[in-house]
Amino acid sequence: MKPDSRQLGRFAEIATKVRAGVPLELDEGAFLYRYPDLLALGQLANEVREDRHGDRTYFNINFHINPTNVCVADCKFCSFARLEEGMPAAYTMSLDEIRQKLLDREGQPVTEIHIVSGLHGELPFDYYLDTLRVLKEVRPDIHLKAYTAVEIQYFADKYGMSYERVLTELRDAGLDSMPGGGAEIFAERVRRKICRDKATADQWLDIHRTAHGLGLRTNCTMLFGTIETLEERVDHMLRLRALQEETGGFQTFIPLAFHPDGNSLGKLPAPTGVDSLRTYAVGRLMCSNIDHIKAYWIMIGLATAQVAQSFGVDDLDGTVQEEKIYHMAGAETPQAMTRGDLVRLIREAGRVAVERDTLYNVRWIDDGAPLPGIRVDASVPYSSHEGRVRLAVTP
Amino acid sequence: MSEADSRDVHDVVHVAAVQFLNAHPLTRYLPGPETTSGPRFEVHPALPAECAEGLANGRFDVALVPVAAYLDNPQWEVVPEVGIACRGPVDTVLLLSNVPVEQIERVHLDAASRTSVLLLRTLLADRGLHPEFVGAPHGTGRGLVRGNDAALVIGDAAFGLRDAFPVVMDLGAEWFSRTGLPMVFAFWAARPGVLTDAHVRALHEARDRGIKRAESLARAYRESRLAAGEPALAESDYANYLRQRIRYRLDGFDRAGLVEFLARVRPDDGAHPAHVNFIAREHEGVAEAAVQLRATPMDADALLAKAADGGRLTLAEGMFLYETADLFALGAAADARRQALHPDGIVTYIIDRNVNYTNVCTARCRFCNFYTPPKGPNPYVLTREQLAAKFSETVALGGVQILLQGGLNPDLGIEWYEDFFRWAKRDFPTLQMHALSPTEIIHIAHLEGMTIHDTLVRLHAAGLDSLPGGGAEMLHDEIRNRISPFKNTTDEWLEVMRQAHRIGMLSTATMVFGFQETAEHTLVHLDRLRRVQDEALANPAGGKFTAFIAWPFQADGTNLKLRDDTSPWRYLRTQALARLYLDNIDNLQVSWPTLGPEIGEVALRFGANDFGSVMIEENVVSKAGAHFMLDAARIEHHVQQAGFTPARRRQNYTRLQSRA
Repeated sequence: MKPDSRQLGRFAEIATKVRAGVPLELDEGAFLYRYPDLLALGQLANEVREDRHGDRTYFNINFHINPTNVCVADCKFCSFARLEEGMPAAYTMSLDEIRQKLLDREGQPVTEIHIVSGLHGELPFDYYLDTLRVLKEVRPDIHLKAYTAVEIQYFADKYGMSYERVLTELRDAGLDSMPGGGAEIFAERVRRKICRDKATADQWLDIHRTAHGLGLRTNCTMLFGTIETLEERVDHMLRLRALQEETGGFQTFIPLAFHPDGNSLGKLPAPTGVDSLRTYAVGRLMCSNIDHIKAYWIMIGLATAQVAQSFGVDDLDGTVQEEKIYHMAGAETPQAMTRGDLVRLIREAGRVAVERDTLYNVRWIDDGAPLPGIRVDASVPYSSHEGRVRLAVTP
Repeated sequence: MSEADSRDVHDVVHVAAVQFLNAHPLTRYLPGPETTSGPRFEVHPALPAECAEGLANGRFDVALVPVAAYLDNPQWEVVPEVGIACRGPVDTVLLLSNVPVEQIERVHLDAASRTSVLLLRTLLADRGLHPEFVGAPHGTGRGLVRGNDAALVIGDAAFGLRDAFPVVMDLGAEWFSRTGLPMVFAFWAARPGVLTDAHVRALHEARDRGIKRAESLARAYRESRLAAGEPALAESDYANYLRQRIRYRLDGFDRAGLVEFLARVRPDDGAHPAHVNFIAREHEGVAEAAVQLRATPMDADALLAKAADGGRLTLAEGMFLYETADLFALGAAADARRQALHPDGIVTYIIDRNVNYTNVCTARCRFCNFYTPPKGPNPYVLTREQLAAKFSETVALGGVQILLQGGLNPDLGIEWYEDFFRWAKRDFPTLQMHALSPTEIIHIAHLEGMTIHDTLVRLHAAGLDSLPGGGAEMLHDEIRNRISPFKNTTDEWLEVMRQAHRIGMLSTATMVFGFQETAEHTLVHLDRLRRVQDEALANPAGGKFTAFIAWPFQADGTNLKLRDDTSPWRYLRTQALARLYLDNIDNLQVSWPTLGPEIGEVALRFGANDFGSVMIEENVVSKAGAHFMLDAARIEHHVQQAGFTPARRRQNYTRLQSRA
């Protein structure tokens, strides 16, 4: 149970490298993943985290729009997948509906909209451009973080354009940055089995490289807990690190725990607390050139997210006000939490909550004062594709 | 330096008390000013109202005050477990009349205390009656009863008057029939900071001696009356009064009556529950710890190293670590301690079923969503058939234990429980009965008028195997008074465990945190458990706490609205500190039902060595929002994720052979 002397020695060597700023190798990452002393691993990741960010834990106030859930891809881990227009649960929003999503939030302190769609087979490219335009018309200062590399790849393929052209047109229509979704696991072996229809690893990386070249900042993710090995996880982190070395365009690495309910990988065990914490910690140690590590509490639960702040995480995906994809897959956490609750969660863990915008400009720092009461109430749990969140903001 | 700070335990405490016979058992055996060691008391005779007045204006340090005086003096500290109360007729608080109560126009108050006046007023108001109240000199009341004029006569003047008037209302009996609760007339109250724990013990000891010597007190009282040329009843009448009418040892049921009375007569008319500030033993050692905390420089790393090594932490050291230690450092020390205690890397769990045999409860705790008051909506007591079905399913699922808990149901006497345990043991011999929390044991004991010891002996003989540690919440009366003023005190809860251990029974200990408690509250809780465990281990009977389990208060949907500190972060810290502080309790159980199995898994690295149970049924917590259910395979998966080997265990924490 306890590390043996050989393990202790190797851990100490790795710790020395980490403190000296030397990048870790694949076998070292795999060693850390398997290191028996969870707390020692956490503590090392915490050192790196505190060196960079001190006691700060970031959050931002955003909301999600999923303009359509119609999708030609058949990803095994997605409870949203392979929907065709006309199927009972399928929907595609009109531009008016999209606009209304933002109008509904008039006066709310939202700084960012996170837009992720399905791969719809019928819509014109203009639909995606117009989605951005109508939102910017309503609120020119809102930050649009939109379309994963998988969507960009699909657009390029379907509409016969280069990545650069797709991204340039989107940028000109209002795109400010790209989310990190769709990376899943880069290893070909796994990709073939769980998301064969999706952009390949190289395509995904290439699109982010192109985006960085155009001055767009992006995030990156890793889906863990399906059928990948620990080495394949570390390999994934290293590929991200290599691109970051080249471009410096990634802001945040977001490990995503796989949820087995409601999709065709339902036989796999659910993500567990220790595995999530190890992944954050190893992610923090391997991706030494990426500034932030984010925990997405919608998926791992508030409890694990709070503790994750001591395992390398410096950013909690905050008051997400509308989120569909994971809730169709049975995540049992609340859909939205109040700003006050989130700040309290951070305070309780001995950290200082910092509200940021998408580009990590500081908007507010917790001064310890009694908390303001913006309450966002979510309605019925997501049990079917029809499930919608109703929001009420009370002073 | 304030006056209270400069006091010494040997300073003479000035006590005011009434001279009525019913006060004699509390006052006659107090150590006097001439005592050479320990607390000293000087008793000053006074009328009830003077007792309260003299305490309020500083003339006295302690007084036997009518409880209503507390409404104006909420700063007073009340001595727990002692007072003057009755459950039914009291004989010496009487409304005397020649006409039916409905026709009374005026009531003469014979030197009556405010408590008896307020009691009379609320009882008459219940019947829609509002006669005029006028004062009268002490001793004259009886002569003023004529026509539609009645008199309220209290104290010794009321002896023998029960049969002297055509209409007599005994206020104790009337209160009991209206509310079903005891009436507390008076208690010891003190100016804040005057009484030490030694004083409280002296007051309790004086009470116990007084009760034991009821006959000689009765004889002395009779002789003094005769000597003064006054009429007297038979000695046995006085002795029966002291032994049967008046209750001097107050328990949770009496407290419920007290709180009900205060809430009713308070100006805001019962809108909120009343709180009574009892002096409790939890203050033992706290002042010293506070001094030590301020005066002694402490080093968290050194303390953690000591504790990880099995060294005992002091209260002050525990408080220091709770407030300052780093999460990882606490966790690592707790993990090291766990490794030393359970070196084989095995994490146990049990297959059991949680059965809530009744939902009827008199306790009215504000954080509970499960129970219904007697005569409330949808009451139930499970039938034998229902129980048998649950037990059979449990056995079929490989279960070895029933965790049986329920409300404080006034309809279930000890025989119901004895029959139940005998039946369960006969029909389901493989199931261990981990049943009845201390609160339920106290409830059964007082329902039957039995001691805790006798109650436990009978239940144990019938088949009760061990006691679950529920109802501990925070073992600190400051918190308990706030969250469940009707429930047993810390001392009572611990006493049940102490008595159970003495007859060789096993029990568990729990903590529910998240009631705005401080480091002091938390550590006092752990400290008191540790002391009781020390006592148990010193006794060859073999009883003890097998395990400690902490969990955060579940706020969703309950009535208690607190800005709670119930986060998993706090949970991990609390659990790790408990592993270090409770150096004499073997096992620490994680509480995954409240926080989720993911944190349960992580908690195994913060000092725990047991993953709890499969919990086939759990009504109480799930009513308040916790809803995680795990089967054995999932439990084993989580245990393995944390790097341990899972093994099933029995109720006494011995391991079962590997599974079939």
